[in-house]
Order: sequence, then structure tokens, then C-alpha cells
Amino acid sequence: MTSGLFSKFNRVGAWVLLLFLVTPALIAIPVSLTPKRFLSMPKGEFSLRHFEKLFTSEEWLSSFFQSGVIAVSTSALATVLGTLCAIGLWRVSSRYSELVRAFLLLPLIIPQIISAMAFYRLWIPLGLLDSYAGLILAHTILAAPMVLITVSASLATFDPKLEQASKNLGASNWTTMRRVILPSIKPGVFAGALFAFILSWDEIVVTLFISKFSVYTLPRRMWNGIRENTDPTVAAAAVVLIAITVIAFVITSIMSRRSAKSQAQ
Amino acid sequence: MAEPNQTGSLQVRNVSKLFGTFKAVNDISLDIRKGEFLTLLGPSGSGKTTLLMMIAGFLDISEGDIALDEASIANVPAEKRNFGMVFQGYALFPHMTVRDNIGYALSVRKRPAAEITARVDEMLELVQLQEFADRKPAQLSGGQQQRVALARALCFAPPVLLLDEPLGALDKKLRVEVQEQLKDIHRRVGTTFIYVTHDQEEALSMSDRIVIMRDGAIEQVGTPKELYERPINQFTAGFLGKSNFIQHNGKTFALRPEKIDLRASASHPDARLSGTVRSVTYFGSMQRVIVDASDGTEIEVDIDVWRNSETLREGDAVDLLWTDDAAVELQMG
Repeated sequence: MTSGLFSKFNRVGAWVLLLFLVTPALIAIPVSLTPKRFLSMPKGEFSLRHFEKLFTSEEWLSSFFQSGVIAVSTSALATVLGTLCAIGLWRVSSRYSELVRAFLLLPLIIPQIISAMAFYRLWIPLGLLDSYAGLILAHTILAAPMVLITVSASLATFDPKLEQASKNLGASNWTTMRRVILPSIKPGVFAGALFAFILSWDEIVVTLFISKFSVYTLPRRMWNGIRENTDPTVAAAAVVLIAITVIAFVITSIMSRRSAKSQAQ
Repeated sequence: MAEPNQTGSLQVRNVSKLFGTFKAVNDISLDIRKGEFLTLLGPSGSGKTTLLMMIAGFLDISEGDIALDEASIANVPAEKRNFGMVFQGYALFPHMTVRDNIGYALSVRKRPAAEITARVDEMLELVQLQEFADRKPAQLSGGQQQRVALARALCFAPPVLLLDEPLGALDKKLRVEVQEQLKDIHRRVGTTFIYVTHDQEEALSMSDRIVIMRDGAIEQVGTPKELYERPINQFTAGFLGKSNFIQHNGKTFALRPEKIDLRASASHPDARLSGTVRSVTYFGSMQRVIVDASDGTEIEVDIDVWRNSETLREGDAVDLLWTDDAAVELQMG
């Protein structure tokens, strides 16, 4: 009886918690529809004017484009690096490789503000400040550990006998990697690519430190939009941001489910 | 591609494998003949799988040498050895169809597509899986997966096929069926089979020769019949089939349970031992009788039920008889 009550309470609690977590993000949706010129909840009247502004303003569009380029490049770079690293550590698989793994996860553990300062100090002499390359590199360093984690999780369930079988059948290391290992860990690679994309897509702390004029990402423009004026276009941008993230997430989960299914059948 | 193998004899010369200071395989020498079905039989930890992995090239040889047709392969990497292998649990590629799995070895060798298709068709026919060519491994039963693994390993006509407990995952009834198919395929392809198992029935029913291993060393090598009829020591006699051990004049003899006759006690002139029946267990084709012999030992006797219809009961006094050639003298150890 008590366990029944407890599990009911648990379930309700879980939904309340979920609502608590999600509501602030969803607030952006009604706010983005306000007809007023400042951030406010719409009262009976709705308007798409802020979306119109968002998609006609050269500034906002260029920020979308820049964020897109940076996030896609980061995702691609981090996925390649993280996957290779995960496979390397899995191959070696000793006490030292676990040490190396812990070291490689540091960018995830260190507070971002500290990473941001480090990037700032380092990027000045390298001339990477306020450039695409600088942002992509910094985001890649932050995102690669995520890929390392998701791919390592996939590799943990990979049967090492498949690698032996491939070699026994005459395949070189490279062929084995391309035709046996990579297809088996696809779900982990997809998930890692998605996480890397999302990380870069909404990264603000590091971006504030190492970009200024020539690179102006979407989160950065939103940050300024809220600080300097209470323009509801920010809310419209937030809605688009959330939508793109959700779409990316849905696509990835469909793809990983499909690849899991094609193996299970 | 499919021409009969001219090669396939394997020479194992004083091979040892050390893991740290532990000798998993200890100074093994063995000549494996071309085309034979050789079984490495032993309990777990006897070194049989370690030896197979060294032959396959997945483990380095610590000492000694392994040669294919007298040419050393100790420094040839696994992917260059051209040995087929059926893995424990099969290790089929889950994302590939049956056809792609079987054709993998030819496709990594960059053979023309038409040749691969033809050869895979041939293999599908050999293992009778023609209608399953486009399925994924997970859509097949255990026995079918086992056949795909076999076809994949034989597709590139390797001189030697290594099998690592390939029937371990199958249930008992299916296992007997697959044993028959495996033997049949061995006859047809003529490849040297090196088969690792801990199942003595499998070893007896399929092998041309059996190598009995214990603690990383060879105990005895011979045909199934030689090993069963003439075990040289207690380990072999006890591991391959059941055996009673009789002490006589300071020597130990092995005596198979089915080679003993039981007579109702009438002080039979030829009786070797007498005793009382402790238990009788009925197995259909035979019954197993445990006798407490008068010398204090326990003797197991298997009796053919059909030809010995008189019923034995617990507590009955019995005489035990056997012929001289039924008892095999053993070496110590």
C-alpha cells in the first residue's frame, strides 16, 4: 500500500519537476508572440512581427548563419576527434589509458569560465581571437569529451570478437574499423555529434570571451539583446533556437533507433 | 578459389605461452595432418583455447614455433594467415546480411562481385541457408547462425579451419544434429579442422584424433577409440567417458562400467569381486548400478536393460565379473 502511494507520489513529483525544468524555456513561446515592442506576455492579442523581424534583419540572420557554421564545424571536428580517441583508448585499454581518459574529460569538469579565460589568454598570441577558427577550436575542445563519453559507451557493448573475426577473415585494421567497428558504434557517434552540435549552438560563456565584432553568434546576439534593450525578438530567436535543438535531437534519436533496429532484426 | 586445398598440415613445435609467470601452455608439440578433424579436448584452464588463439594469430607465441606445411607462421599476423575460424558465440557482423557476412573475406580481398556472388551462393547451398541470404543474423535461430559462421569461415577456402566451442550455445538436441552436419561438411570440403571443446561426447563422435589436455600440457593423443579403449592414465580414463579404478598388485587399472557383468551372488568361480547393490538408476537404454564392493571400493556398472531383464534391488548380494582385456593398466598420474 505504502509503496503504491509512494510510487504515485513519485510519478506526480517527477512530472512537477519536469514542468519546473521546462516551463522557463517554454515561457519564450508566448513572449515571442507579443504585439508589444518590449518583453511582455501577450494579452489576448498575438503577433508574428518579432519573427518577421528576426527573419528579415540582416544582423539576426547573419548570427544564425554564423552559429550554424560554427556548430556544424564543431560537431564534425569533435566527432572525428572524440571517436578516434575513444577507439584508441578502447584498443589500448590499460590502467594508463583510464588515466588518459580522466585527463581528457577535464574540459567537461572544469568550470567554463575558467576554460574561457584560458582560451582568451592562449588565443591572443595565436591570433585566433574573434575568428571562426578560434571559436570552432574552443568549442571543439569543449565538445570532444562528450563524444568520447558517448562513443566509449557504445564501445563498451561492442563484442571484441567481431574485430577478431574481421581480422581472421583477412581485413586490415583500417578495413575492420570502417566496415565493422564504426557501423557497430554508430548510435554513440550520432549521439556524440548531436551533443557537440548543441553545446556549440548555445555556448555563451567562452564565446563572450573570445569573440567581439567579426564573429557574432546567436546566443551572443541574444545576450546583448536582453542586456541593452528588452527587444522581444530575443524571445523569437529563443523559440527558433529551441526548435532547432529539438529537431536535431529528434532526427538523431530516430537515426540511432533505426540503426539499432536494423541490427536487432 | 574453390580448388581443393593442397596445403593444410600444421606443425606445433615446443610451443609455450606465458602470461606473466603463469604457463598457460607448456611445451606442446603436435603434428596436425592435412585434412584431419583434430579435437583439442580438456577442462577449462587446460590451455586448449590459448593454443587455438596462438594458431589463429591472436596471441603471440612465448616459446617455440608454429608452422603451416613446414613454413613458420609465428610472425605472420592474424589477417595474413588465411585460417578460417568459427568463434564461440559466432561473432557474426550484426549490421550485415547473411550474404554480406559470408562474402566478407572475399570482399576484403577485393575479388570481383560476380565471383563473390557465385561463391557465396555455393556456400549458402553447402550450409542449406539459400532462402535466408538477405536476413540479418539476429533474425536467425542459433543453429542457423552457427551455419552462417561456418560458411563465412569456409568461403575463402582456407587450408585450416579453427573452431572454438562452436556448439556451446546450442541446446543438446540441436547439438547432435549440428555435429552430423559439421562432420558431413568436413568430409565434403576436405579442410583441416581444429576443434576446441570441453564436451567429451562431441569429441568422441566427430574427431579423427583427439588431443586431451590438462594444465597446459598434452595428456594423450589418439583416435577416439584408442583413447577410450586404451587410456594411459587416470585423468584420460576419467575425462573421456566413465571409469572405475581398480587396485591390484600395486597397479591401477581402469575398468569401463559397461564392461562389467553382474551375477546374483552364488560364489561364482570367475568372480573378481563381490559386493552389495547400493543403488539402481534406470536410464531407459541401460541402468546404472552402484555396488559397494567387499574391498571397500565403490564400483559403477552399466547394464543393458533389454538383455538383462532380471531385476536388481538395493541390498542384493552380487558378484562382479570381467574379462582380462577389459581392465586397462594405467601409468601413475
